[in-house]
Amino acid sequence: MDDKRSRFEARVLPHLDAAHRLARWLSRSPGDADDIVQEAFMRAYRAFDSLRSPDARAWLLAIVRNCHLSALAEGRRRAYEPLTEEHEAQQSVAAAAAAPSDPESASIERDERRTLHRLIAALPEEQREVLVLREMEDMSYREIAEVAEVPIGTVMSRLARARAALKALWPEAQGEPRAVR
Amino acid sequence: MQCAETLRVQAAFDGELDAVSAAAVERHAEHCPECQALREHLKETRARIRRDLDYGHASPELRGRIARMLDAEEAAERRAARPSVRPAWRARPFWLGTLTGAGAALAASLAVVLLAPLVFARLPDELIGAHLRSLESGRLTAVISTDRHTVKPWFAGRTDVSPVVADFGAQGYRLVGGRADYVDHQRMAVLVYEHGAHVINVFAFLPGREALPAERSLRGYHLACWRGGDLGYCTVSDAGWEELASLRQLLLDLAVRDTR
Repeated sequence: MDDKRSRFEARVLPHLDAAHRLARWLSRSPGDADDIVQEAFMRAYRAFDSLRSPDARAWLLAIVRNCHLSALAEGRRRAYEPLTEEHEAQQSVAAAAAAPSDPESASIERDERRTLHRLIAALPEEQREVLVLREMEDMSYREIAEVAEVPIGTVMSRLARARAALKALWPEAQGEPRAVR
Repeated sequence: MQCAETLRVQAAFDGELDAVSAAAVERHAEHCPECQALREHLKETRARIRRDLDYGHASPELRGRIARMLDAEEAAERRAARPSVRPAWRARPFWLGTLTGAGAALAASLAVVLLAPLVFARLPDELIGAHLRSLESGRLTAVISTDRHTVKPWFAGRTDVSPVVADFGAQGYRLVGGRADYVDHQRMAVLVYEHGAHVINVFAFLPGREALPAERSLRGYHLACWRGGDLGYCTVSDAGWEELASLRQLLLDLAVRDTR
């Protein structure tokens, strides 16, 4: 019968990981993130016939963001959970697999990751979302503006503030800055 | 204190500037230590974030939850498309079957299944035709009223369905009345709206299991269909897509309030 499901799976499902990352960063809680993503996919499926834009990712992420906001408004969300042990373990395993290194530098890397995570999680939400969309999803200003529902100029200033805030917090939280190449 | 070019340096770094502007920023940065430092910071931040911060992939569990949700949504759509009151042309094979035996019933059901897509393929043309006929003088409305309490009861007994009705004059869609149209073997309820100089017909009917017609333009008229509750709705008009989408949203919101 209707091929809506297969069209939906072809156009929207490929952006599940992006939706999940954004939900994680917005809600700062893995449990909430999964709920938000599931809700977002339901709304997306129901609204799929009205999708006009060729950019399904920005469309989906805007829905994810709205689901996050309505979850916030309804107060049904769990507390902010800092990087969990389990998650950290997964990340270290992944990092170790990617670049085998001695235990000492592995521990430094873990500290850095935790610091960076904390700094970004502590940013105001409006700055955090533009930073995540720009750096992790590699979205253009125009796409970010569509997701965050703000003018491009606002995207630029929020992005600048987010990056400046990281710079201000970095040295004290970080100790020795490490060259990154 | 802060260099006036910082936002442009950032935009250049993010690949948002054309080549000429990017070159100008480049020339500026050569002589501006602040902008050089900013650029280093931007590079470092990006490298760290992309190296250290990745929430990777949605878990298999989440994928499973979404697949189950989609199954449920599909099933709900199928249920909504199979209302208890059947249009006559669909019900017929079943009593035909009781008269002539199981074999005939099976054959007739199969015929309906196989023919159904053809029937629905005709729907857009029929709707456009009905829209054009309605524009001939005196045929647009059988009941003329902006009052939903007049229009909605009028449909009872004259059409197969009772759609949501409201005047959206405040939003620019004035309800001018309703009529019954015989389209696709059904007595459809038609709401008539005026938007500026445009007439918009909204056809309400019992949808089958098939997909409603996709949005399209036929002979210069726009056709947009959607499901609301267990009814199918199709708008036909020479008004723009945006206008049709706004009216659809108003009617969808109304249907949601109506079914609570």
